[in-house]
Amino acid sequence: MNRGAFVKGVLMALAAMALGWVASKTVASALVMTLLAQSCFYALFALGVGLLIRQNGMVSFGHAAFFGLPGYLIGIGLKQTDIPIELLIPLVVLAVTTFAFLVGLVFVRVHGIAFGMLTLAIGQAVYEASTRLRGLTGGHDGLTIKFPRELFGLPLKTFQQPHGMFLIAWCVLVIVVTLVIWLAHSRLGRLTEAIRENEERAGFLGYRTLWPRAVIFAISAATTAAGGVLFALYNAYISPETVYWTSSGSALIMAVLGGSVAPWGPVLGSMVYFFLKEALGDVTTHWLGIIGISLIVVTVSFPQGLSGLAMRLLGLGARRRHADS
Amino acid sequence: MPILEARAVSKAYGGFLALDNVNLTVEPGEIRALIGPNGAGKSTLIDVLSGRARGHAGQVFFQDAEITPLAPWARRLKGLARSFQKTSIFPALSVRAQLELAARKAEAGGDVGETLAEFGLEGVAERPAGAIGYGDQRRLDLALALTGRPSLLLLDEPAAGLSFEESMKLAKALREMANRRGVTVLLVEHDMEVVFAIADTITVLQLGKVLAEGPPAQVRADPRVVQAYLGSAA
Repeated sequence: MNRGAFVKGVLMALAAMALGWVASKTVASALVMTLLAQSCFYALFALGVGLLIRQNGMVSFGHAAFFGLPGYLIGIGLKQTDIPIELLIPLVVLAVTTFAFLVGLVFVRVHGIAFGMLTLAIGQAVYEASTRLRGLTGGHDGLTIKFPRELFGLPLKTFQQPHGMFLIAWCVLVIVVTLVIWLAHSRLGRLTEAIRENEERAGFLGYRTLWPRAVIFAISAATTAAGGVLFALYNAYISPETVYWTSSGSALIMAVLGGSVAPWGPVLGSMVYFFLKEALGDVTTHWLGIIGISLIVVTVSFPQGLSGLAMRLLGLGARRRHADS
Repeated sequence: MPILEARAVSKAYGGFLALDNVNLTVEPGEIRALIGPNGAGKSTLIDVLSGRARGHAGQVFFQDAEITPLAPWARRLKGLARSFQKTSIFPALSVRAQLELAARKAEAGGDVGETLAEFGLEGVAERPAGAIGYGDQRRLDLALALTGRPSLLLLDEPAAGLSFEESMKLAKALREMANRRGVTVLLVEHDMEVVFAIADTITVLQLGKVLAEGPPAQVRADPRVVQAYLGSAA
């Protein structure tokens, strides 16, 4: 990435954060802010899933494990150790990322359904652990996380009020999206895209193809874990439902809905999903059915998702391809 | 000292013995053609030499060092490149992006602009490779293999799918390229016009064994080769 593109990325990120700040100051509705904050958590979740699809061409059915593990690990860490929360949070994200990298070294050797089943297995293993290790996790009752009154120099209530959390989550989301876009244009991004396209050829160009895919799997898990940390901070509670496979399914729906042609596609998908869910929930209890039909329509009519459609409408497709080169 | 040597290589697929105790020596700078009827084991031998086919008997040496246990990526880093019978590119990446990717791992570096010009791909440099013409894709395939100036290039049917004129043009380009870059070439080819136009030495395989080997004129005159493969093509 050249200097101009770097500066442009930073400026756009700062502008997006400023927009979030304006929204947090002007939107009075706590409900809207709650929805926006939650959609940010799940946008990070879906961004991880979408990153894996975009760079590795792999569909995960178990990313809920990486979304829920941070909450459990923070809760247990606060209860069992004296590690300060400011250190504990990065340690937890690092632990989840390392775990994902090690798991990825095994999982990314296979493709398609086999990969999907392996991720489902790890997700369900985490779910089973969360229900059976009652002493640590609270079992089906879930785990209440006892945060200290102050985190990173801010009062805890800042993280647990809709307006405060929205602004924090939005800024984290903007930073992570910017990093994901940079990743897509980086050497690693180019290489993994090439491996996704033609792994054998990449090997015959002199590239080892296992490690880069495992690194992407780990980065994808870290992205999802960032959403999990925010989720835990906001709710101060985590339960087995968070790591259940249906949670992975929801993130996958968001990622597919948004599309992976643009790195930010899953974010759009999660925002649409959340507001569609909220709007439909007021009208009918069968909102999930309508979302399902919408997903079928989008998948069949716009295989590149809403982001692909948006880029086509804005005439960005051709420009992006040129920019990519 | 040969640049490439296969010693007693055998490879079986299930009960089918595709290569049976094959010995092959390729000298630096030569263009060697591997010919033979379908099922003779030509592509299998290229796969064994490039590391694509594993689980074979025998040994493979490259520049006097054994490379039998090495994966394709490690062989490529030593200077052994290959192209494929079916065009093998990255369809979604632009032509330039994938040549940059190839240049990054190249043992002697690689000037992408120079490569684009050399292979006549400047006009399609910014287009996704999947959207360019078949002839351009074949040239891109070759350019990917040659980026970074490897010492040895294995080509599996480079003229497959090309017309007579295109094949002869390719033969001429390959000859010039080999002379210019000093690269050794081992190619599998069915088109005898191409083979006799560029090969210094020809190895004939039949049923997984070496049937004959020598300069084109000698091979063309060998009655065993005529009977087994060339027939009226000679």
